[in-house]
Amino acid sequence: MKPVLRFGRRLRVEAVLATVGALVAVFALMRVLVDPFWLASPAGQATGPPLDLELGVLLAFVVTIAVGELNRITLPGARESAPMSLAAAFALAMTSGVGSAQPLRFDAWVAIVATALAMLIGTGVSALVHRPTRPDDLAARFLCAAVLAVLFRQVPLSGGSTLLTLQTTWTQQRWLSAISMLLASAVALVVQSLITATGTALREHLSWRQSVVDELRRAAGLSTALAASGALIALAERPLGIVAIPVFLVPLVLTQFAVRRFASVRQTYGQTIRTLSRLTEIGGYTPTDHPTRVADLSVGMAKVIGMSERDTLELEYAALLHDIGQVALRTPIPGGATMLAAPTDQDRIARDGAEIVRQTGVLDDVATILEAQAKPYRHVRELGEPIPISSRIIKVANAYDDLVGDKPTPASQASAIERIHLGLGYEYDPAVVDALSRVLARREGREGREGREGRT
Amino acid sequence: MSDHGSGRLPLPRPPLALSLGTYIGGTVLFAIALVVLSSVHLGPPRDLVALVVLCGMGLLSQVLAEPNVGSRVAFSFLSIILLASIPIVGPVGCAVVAGVAMGLQPGHVFPRVRLFNTAMHVVVGALGGLLYLACGGAHDLHTVNGAGPLLLQVGLPLLVADAAQMLVNAALLAGIMHVDSGVPWRVIFVRMATNSGVAYLGYGVIGFLFVTLWVPADVGPFSALLILAPLFVARWAFVQYGDEQRSHESALSALVSAVETKDPYAAGHSARMAILCQWIAEPLSLGAQEVQALRFAAMLHDVGKVGLPTRIVRRPGEMSRGDLAVLEKHPDRGADLVSGIDFLADSLEGIRHHHERYDGRGYPTGLVGEAIPLAARIIAVADAFDSLTMPRPHRPALDIAEALAEMERRSAIQFDPRVVEALRRATERHDWTPGDVDADTLAAMTGYFDHDDPEASDLAARLRTLEDPSADSEPVAPQLPQLPQLRQLR
Repeated sequence: MKPVLRFGRRLRVEAVLATVGALVAVFALMRVLVDPFWLASPAGQATGPPLDLELGVLLAFVVTIAVGELNRITLPGARESAPMSLAAAFALAMTSGVGSAQPLRFDAWVAIVATALAMLIGTGVSALVHRPTRPDDLAARFLCAAVLAVLFRQVPLSGGSTLLTLQTTWTQQRWLSAISMLLASAVALVVQSLITATGTALREHLSWRQSVVDELRRAAGLSTALAASGALIALAERPLGIVAIPVFLVPLVLTQFAVRRFASVRQTYGQTIRTLSRLTEIGGYTPTDHPTRVADLSVGMAKVIGMSERDTLELEYAALLHDIGQVALRTPIPGGATMLAAPTDQDRIARDGAEIVRQTGVLDDVATILEAQAKPYRHVRELGEPIPISSRIIKVANAYDDLVGDKPTPASQASAIERIHLGLGYEYDPAVVDALSRVLARREGREGREGREGRT
Repeated sequence: MSDHGSGRLPLPRPPLALSLGTYIGGTVLFAIALVVLSSVHLGPPRDLVALVVLCGMGLLSQVLAEPNVGSRVAFSFLSIILLASIPIVGPVGCAVVAGVAMGLQPGHVFPRVRLFNTAMHVVVGALGGLLYLACGGAHDLHTVNGAGPLLLQVGLPLLVADAAQMLVNAALLAGIMHVDSGVPWRVIFVRMATNSGVAYLGYGVIGFLFVTLWVPADVGPFSALLILAPLFVARWAFVQYGDEQRSHESALSALVSAVETKDPYAAGHSARMAILCQWIAEPLSLGAQEVQALRFAAMLHDVGKVGLPTRIVRRPGEMSRGDLAVLEKHPDRGADLVSGIDFLADSLEGIRHHHERYDGRGYPTGLVGEAIPLAARIIAVADAFDSLTMPRPHRPALDIAEALAEMERRSAIQFDPRVVEALRRATERHDWTPGDVDADTLAAMTGYFDHDDPEASDLAARLRTLEDPSADSEPVAPQLPQLPQLRQLR
């Protein structure tokens, strides 16, 4: 039996988010059961629209959201998104009068319960076709839709009336409706970004501010399209009825298609870089997996230092390719350890590598990082030479991996750290070495924890 | 409004041919006549506020249009705006929007190009509008309400107008290209109509959404922001996609250049192989997908050489049997190396088996005949042909006829006869430029072992037979210790 939700190994953040989501859904369900909307008639109106109309509308939304859940896309940077599901959930939260002059009666809690139900159905079907949903992404989506529903239908924003009741006064200025919907959606989307970024920051021990900036930047494009689509459906319901739901998702489908293409080409690009990085390995110049280990270590250090996602990706590519200059060597350096080669040789390898990478014509920034990777830190202090922080990181990560090798023992790790400390300030940037120590300490803690868990 | 993004015609040649002038003049007159007749018949455009807003949006779309988005997907925002103008401000209004957008388009455009573009778009707008009304499109949208009436009285006529606009646009553009460059009108027209057909269907749907939101949903001009936001994001993502795609291709070429850094004498071999294999694939009628995979395999067929010691790859001296055994690992190494790249999955077979022989005496697995993947059989033929037409230290370059004769002699022994035949037809159809080696390099290459030379394949096959105790049909020479005999064979 496949798990319905795919929990990661470090599941605390995910569990907390999923629990919060579940609590909100249960709370909404209780509100609906205690105070059934179909029994209450809105103030100043003897009869609302017939119950089956309201249920029909809800059903249409539930189906759309569930189908949207099956249509997830992976954004560059590994987060999953379900634009069609979320856009439909937004429209549900903001819908007011479908196909008639009579406003719908259901409140935010009904919308939230319907959304939860739809997302659960979608997640269940998704698990059946072997694509488990990530619980934190799902929870973030649900909470974001819930925030919008409450904001739009429950919170008295101006003079005691909610945005929903304001819609009826804006029948002649519908553009005001549109703006209010866009603004409310924007607030909800920012909440979603904050939730996701906080999760990422906690899970990967990143700086919270940097995570938020990265997340906002990454989600900006798709969120714009999403907010607009939610408002489109809610506005177009008056003339079109529930036909508006599928029809006005068309522009979003196009957006989703484009974003998916972008994400997939980014992924194969990464694979090609990884393959390039293995050239030295299969040529016998460097020990197995050396580039990958250096890249992992470098990325860990970049996160500790708080580099932006874009810079981190560039650093990862540079770290993967840092030894590629060795391909042109006639005889391999013993053990592939550039750290132990003569400084002039190190410099030549760095320049050759930069040259090969520069030939690609697009990785110029990576080439710049590679060029400076062998320069000692004192050049910065004494000569004022600008050495990119990424180059300094690679220098330290490479030295550590050269010294420790592929089978680390506590003794070899300690002596490697000691040797690097000898070159502190002269050869290596102290701040970067500090980051290395923190990454290693964290790894050790994790391994220790897993070791204990393994024993019990 | 075509596969050229926004449908501007290419730069004309400086001397304005008489027929070109006549064509442009005719289009302009037609445009003016259309506008005058429809204004007289239908009256001036309604709703002036909407007209001004739509004109502004049309202009904006022209400012934002980049001539080269870089991917094959190009959006024409103007097409959407023109379609939406039809029900909102009527045919005359639509023509006005088209005229303003193209006529006042900023940036440097040749005056006669501007004139033609303006006239063409006015014709397209007005004709589309008239057709919309002819198909029973609603005059006054405020009277239409409900999904059914909206679809029937606005959606359907709009779709007809959309198709008509696409055809008129393609016809007029094909006409001017024909007059300008003499390419048959029908060829251009069919190409444009098929290329932009699907995109126009999308414009039709989005134009309908636009109209629905504007009038029946009462959102007014603000609907532009709502409708166009997702489209702008899509366009942005496509631009990103194009950028990333280009970087990706460059990264691939870095793989090739790494091989060539390792084996400088093979410079240019990969690029020539990609072209030659593509040509051979033509008479064999491979699908587009297969040709793509074949091209990648051809480009990367020797990538495994980076995994071998430089000593052996560039070896200037004598090659021992042990060295040869190491060299024969390169197809496997290459396939393993690129196995981590998803989109190369279909190319792996071609890389792994490109040194198999039709008679089963090749390496690495000794597959026989049709059991060898077709891509590998094609690469084997192209590889040997490229080697034969290059000068080598031990022999001059063969000309194409000699090389073909040599290939045909080996047909059904080393090579698949069908592929050799395809090679012959490819060389007849295309102009093959063999790789060139200057005298200095050639002198420096003394002793270079070209593993792609068919004789190298023979020698390796013979050695393998010697090692294989079960194969005793071959006359056994006592010892074949040094491969440079290869040179003495000539």
